[in-house]
Amino acid sequence: MGQDSGWSKRTLLLVIVFISCVTIFPWLGPPVYFISFAFNVFIYITLATSWNIIGGYTGYLSFGHVAFFGIGAYAAAIFGMWFGLSPALNILASIPAGLVSMLLAILVGYPCLRLRGPYFAVITLCFAFVTELTIRNLDFLGGADGLWLKGLALPIEVSRSIFFELMLVLTLVTLFVANRIEKSKFGSGLRAIKEDEEVAQTMAINTPKLKITAFAISAFFPGVAGGLYACYLTYIHPDIVFDVNVSILIVLMALFGGGAFWFGPLVGATILTFVNEGLSTFVKAEYARIIYGCLFIIVIIFMPNGILEFAKTRMVKKPAKFEAAVK
Amino acid sequence: MNLVLVFQSLISGIMMGAVYALLGIGFSLTWGVMKVINVSHATFGLIAAFVAYTLFKVFGMDPVASLAVTLPSLFGLGCLVYWFLINPITRAKAVIVSSMILTFGIAIILENLILLVWGADPRLLTTSYTNKVFAIGPLYFQYPRVLGFLMAVVGVTAIQLFLKRTLTGKAVRAAWQQSEASQLCGINLKKISMITFGLAVASAGAGGVGMAMLYSFEPHSHNLWLIYLFLVVIVGGVGNILGAAAGGMLIGVITGLSMAFLPYQWINVLTFGLLMLILIFRPHGLFRSEV
Repeated sequence: MGQDSGWSKRTLLLVIVFISCVTIFPWLGPPVYFISFAFNVFIYITLATSWNIIGGYTGYLSFGHVAFFGIGAYAAAIFGMWFGLSPALNILASIPAGLVSMLLAILVGYPCLRLRGPYFAVITLCFAFVTELTIRNLDFLGGADGLWLKGLALPIEVSRSIFFELMLVLTLVTLFVANRIEKSKFGSGLRAIKEDEEVAQTMAINTPKLKITAFAISAFFPGVAGGLYACYLTYIHPDIVFDVNVSILIVLMALFGGGAFWFGPLVGATILTFVNEGLSTFVKAEYARIIYGCLFIIVIIFMPNGILEFAKTRMVKKPAKFEAAVK
Repeated sequence: MNLVLVFQSLISGIMMGAVYALLGIGFSLTWGVMKVINVSHATFGLIAAFVAYTLFKVFGMDPVASLAVTLPSLFGLGCLVYWFLINPITRAKAVIVSSMILTFGIAIILENLILLVWGADPRLLTTSYTNKVFAIGPLYFQYPRVLGFLMAVVGVTAIQLFLKRTLTGKAVRAAWQQSEASQLCGINLKKISMITFGLAVASAGAGGVGMAMLYSFEPHSHNLWLIYLFLVVIVGGVGNILGAAAGGMLIGVITGLSMAFLPYQWINVLTFGLLMLILIFRPHGLFRSEV
């Protein structure tokens, strides 16, 4: 990240200090609840950021991204089962699980990415439903009973802290990749697709290849996250890892933050996870979800380009400081 | 293969499909005319179903009669939703996508309001004629399905007549074909869009009551109904009313036949898989789109 022109030395230092603080946080002995909560925040940041690679940059809204998370979780569980992996090795199996997600994304993306706008959104949503229902109906995948994994034979604080660190690493890697893509020629190509795909093609941009690459990358990280999540929970069920609401939540988080920046989903996911947690702690679930629904409407009507863009236009007086934070 | 069984499934499929079509025409209309994908369409239908249920339980009012109450109120509600929520975003570049997210928010709100008012239990609309059948030759007809079918026929015809024969309907079609030119001719686009949206939501109410007569329903049912909506509209071609009607029947026949020959839990896999295949190979519908 160091040689990136956008980072001033001070910001870089701040980021490093912040990351170090987060890294040592679980070893200071906070209640397990906070570690688990932070773990969830990391998952959502990873999902929203990787979603943004296809959804935010190219404007191809995948409403079924949770499928890749679920496939990763199931792949990791099945690797563990078939090869009789020890719990520690099973965690490592998350990476091949991510590759499985990626492979599937290429297979599915090839026909689906020819569709645009709402058609792409619907077909990805259908894909998520089909995968969930298929797994639910196949008995060797645990069917409607779910699958159990072996947990780490460690005290709960320690194992949770280990997963916290692993997820943190994954989140940072995802953010780094998203940042690199945004600054690269590849990222410019993706943005060109969002602006106007036909024009991009006439400018000799190989749009099908770019789209499928972006889709594959954006499926890899959710797959790894799914694998880690499976090892973390030690139990997976289609209802948990294929929750369609999560799919749509990811979209909202990325758009809430602002899909044009790699930084947007990070902000969106963090804020919304905190809001969600706060709401579900203090108010009845139905009211919490009603407020959540209102949030969708407010975001779309008042900040169609996300909260970062919204804040940027409202903070014209001190743009230098804000620019530094965004880039 | 048992021929009677095939015909029986065919008939019940057509009757179910007609109700899907009734639920789908409004969805098709808003998508085609205004480029607004109203994901909460099925949720409005679900509200009508719950209201019909309560009116039936408390006052013994027939579900079809309850439409006299629900349709005007849903029309009003739809107009309000359009005026205050949809209209502000119609000028944005990506209306289709932002409308999906916005109406998804509406769907969440409505679903949770239903949960607050009616609770999470599945309901079944059991009227005096629910289990009555009549027979023509070896084939049996269930009253609720026949009633749903008739409702759908009346509903689709009414909307088609409205669009072709009335001045407002013609204005809707004009606004749809040439939005700028129609405004030059003195058509108030905002008002016309509001009426279209209100009508669409009201038709969703009729469709919801029709669905309630066929299936049990609960606050989350609208998710599955939504998939049927997409199926009906995409098979029929976006914005094509008669296409949606035909698409609905086709989907009904396919599910009807698969219900007879496929284990229950695989039916939805088939439905979703079918939608994916249609999207890949014929994204603009099986029929020629009629503007």
